[in-house]
Parts: sequence; structure tokens; C-alpha cells
Amino acid sequence: MNEKINTDLKSLKFILNKNRLYVFPIAAILISAILFFQFVIPQFKALLIAEKEVKATSLRIEAQKANLDVLTNINEGSLDSQLEILNSALPSSKDFIGILNSVYSAAQKTGVNLGSFSFKVGDLSESISGNDFPVVKLSMPIVNSGIAGVNSFVETISKTFPISEVELIKIGNVSSVVNLSFYYKPLNISDYNQDIRISPISQKELMLINQLEEFGDTSSFSEPSTPVATSSAAQ
Amino acid sequence: MNTDINLLLHTDEESSEEKKRIKLFNLIAIASLMAVGLISLGIFILAQIINSPSVKKDQENTLRLTSQFQGRQTKLFVLNNRVENISKILEARRDLPKVASNLLEKVPSDLFIEDFEVNDKSVIIVGYSKSLFAIGEFINNLTDMVRKEEVIRSLILNSLALDLGRNVYQVSLTSGF
Repeated sequence: MNEKINTDLKSLKFILNKNRLYVFPIAAILISAILFFQFVIPQFKALLIAEKEVKATSLRIEAQKANLDVLTNINEGSLDSQLEILNSALPSSKDFIGILNSVYSAAQKTGVNLGSFSFKVGDLSESISGNDFPVVKLSMPIVNSGIAGVNSFVETISKTFPISEVELIKIGNVSSVVNLSFYYKPLNISDYNQDIRISPISQKELMLINQLEEFGDTSSFSEPSTPVATSSAAQ
Repeated sequence: MNTDINLLLHTDEESSEEKKRIKLFNLIAIASLMAVGLISLGIFILAQIINSPSVKKDQENTLRLTSQFQGRQTKLFVLNNRVENISKILEARRDLPKVASNLLEKVPSDLFIEDFEVNDKSVIIVGYSKSLFAIGEFINNLTDMVRKEEVIRSLILNSLALDLGRNVYQVSLTSGF
């Protein structure tokens, strides 16, 4: 047995001795290959990731610089007044006071007599999903006001804040009914990203704001002393 | 029989070939080590260039400046959001007051509207008049509107009756959008 091992060792020594000049280059090539696969490739991958990150950072910086340009050139006073108009037009929550002001203001302007009405508020705890426009529904009876009066009322209310949609106009001899839906839209904070490039107020946006400005101000309107509105959680 | 066969080893030739092979191996070994080293060095230098501190400094500066205008940025975000949503609403909402106005404009003076109902799908008009001419004129006006696809697209005459009690003609019409 030992003899056999000795013979193998001897032959191994002989082979090594015969090929000793190949040992260094082969070992060096193997080490190079190991270094290449263990270190160089991961290093290269890390470099690519770093490059991507740097590119993304550069884009972010570029966007932030552009944003900075826009923000420094904005007149904060006019921004505040525009925002006030837009928030009145489309509140971020159910603006009952705004709705009542709008209704009473339109009624006063057009001289119609409002009957008792109620909000169809619905489930207050219900969450609002993405692109939907939630509404506060209102069924508005109008008494002894004639076709022209009712028509004038709906025309006026469709041009007051908060923005509403007339769902139904039902005009009768004695009493009429108008169904209204007042829009609101909660602000989705998750859409806010400081790194997104912001654009200055465009001409189109300015035109819309100007159009809304013409809708008229109902905020100063005071509601009647006798309560005519009742609220109920219907639907 | 071939007499040129040489059974002796060509020792010189073989050793020179082996030397060449060893030289080639050594060359490959050195080249591979150098290549790995150079590539590694190149990547290190590139990484240093890419991760230049000036980029970070630039970012910090911009962030510092932007944070001073955070309030304005938020307001502008809200403004853009409101404008976008209001535009969508104004584009999508049906202008029923305008529909009602357009239809009521077509009512002759001697025809009286008893019931008028407009919703997002249809219009129902019930009116009366002492004159059949007025009713005819009203129907003609509405038919013209349908033909021109102006506000309404269809017109159905539900009924045309004589109310002997009031001595008037009563008409009931339904229009669709």
C-alpha cells in the first residue's frame, strides 16, 4: 500500500518536475481569471449602477434648477389669489358653506323662491378613489318662480363656485325642482414629487382662471336668517 | 521500404518548441495579470470620475435653494392639480341650462309650457295653446333643431289632444340628445 503511494508521489513529483516551467504561467492565468470574475465583473456592475445613479441625480438637479427658475419668477401674490379662486371652484373637501352661499346667491340674483332642500351627503367615511370626481348632491325645490326664473337660476348657479352640474331641471306650473351636483376633489399628496419638473402657469391655464374669475364671487353673500336647509345622510 | 525514417528524438527541435510554448504561456500569464490590473484600475478611475463630489455639492446647493421656495412649489402643484381637474369637469359636464335655454327660445309666445323636464338623456315638454298654429310652429322649430342636430337629435310627439274643459290644445313631446 505504502509502496503504491510512494510510486504515485514519485510519478507526481516527476510530472511536476518535468512541467515546473508551466506552473507559474498557469497559476497566474488562473489567478487572473479568478480576479476577473470575482472582482472586476462585480466592480464593473457597480460602476454601471453608479453611472445610472449619477445620471438620475443629474436629471434631478436639472429639474430642480428648472423648477428654481420657475419659482423665482412667480409672483406669489397673484399665485395666492389664483389658488384661492381655484380652491373655491373645486374645493378639496365637501364645502357645504360654499354650496349654500352659491345657492342663496343664485336665488337672490335671479329672484326665485327656494323651497326646503336637503343635501344628499352619503357615506362620510367612504374613501374616494383615484380619478373619480366626488359630488355633493342637492335637490332644490323652487316655488312660484316661473320658467324664466328657474332657467335663470340654473344658468346662474352653473356659473358660481363650487363648480356644479345641473342633473335635472323639472319645471312645473307651481313648483319646480332642480337637481344639482357640486364637485369637490381631495388633493392626492402622493402625486407630489419635489423632483418632478414643474411648469409655469400656461396661457391655457390663465385663460381658465380668467374664465373662472368671471363666474363671480359668492363668498361675501350672507345666507338668510331663517334656516331653509336641512341636511340628511341619504343614499 | 523507406530508409529515411529516423527513430531518434529531435531533442533540439523539441526543446526549442517547448521553450517557445513556455514563453507563450508566460506571456499570456503576464498579459492576463496586467489586463486584470489595468481594467481594475480603469474602473476605479472611472468610478472616481463618476462619483465626483461636485455632483453631490451641486445637488445639495440646488436642494438648499429649492427648499427656500418649498411653499411656492406646493402652491404651484395645487394650482396645476386644480386647473387640470377643473378642465376635466368643464369638458365633461353637460350644459343643461344651455339646453333648456335653447329649447325655451323656440317656444312661440302663445304657447304655454305646463311641464318641462330636462335630464342628461332626454327632454319632456308638455304645453298648451288655444291655437294649433302655435303648436305647429313649436313642433316645426324643434324638427329644425333635430335636422340641424342642434341640441336635440330626436323628437317624438307623445300626444296632441283637445282639452275641452279649458278649451285648449295640449301637446306632449319627448326629445333625445
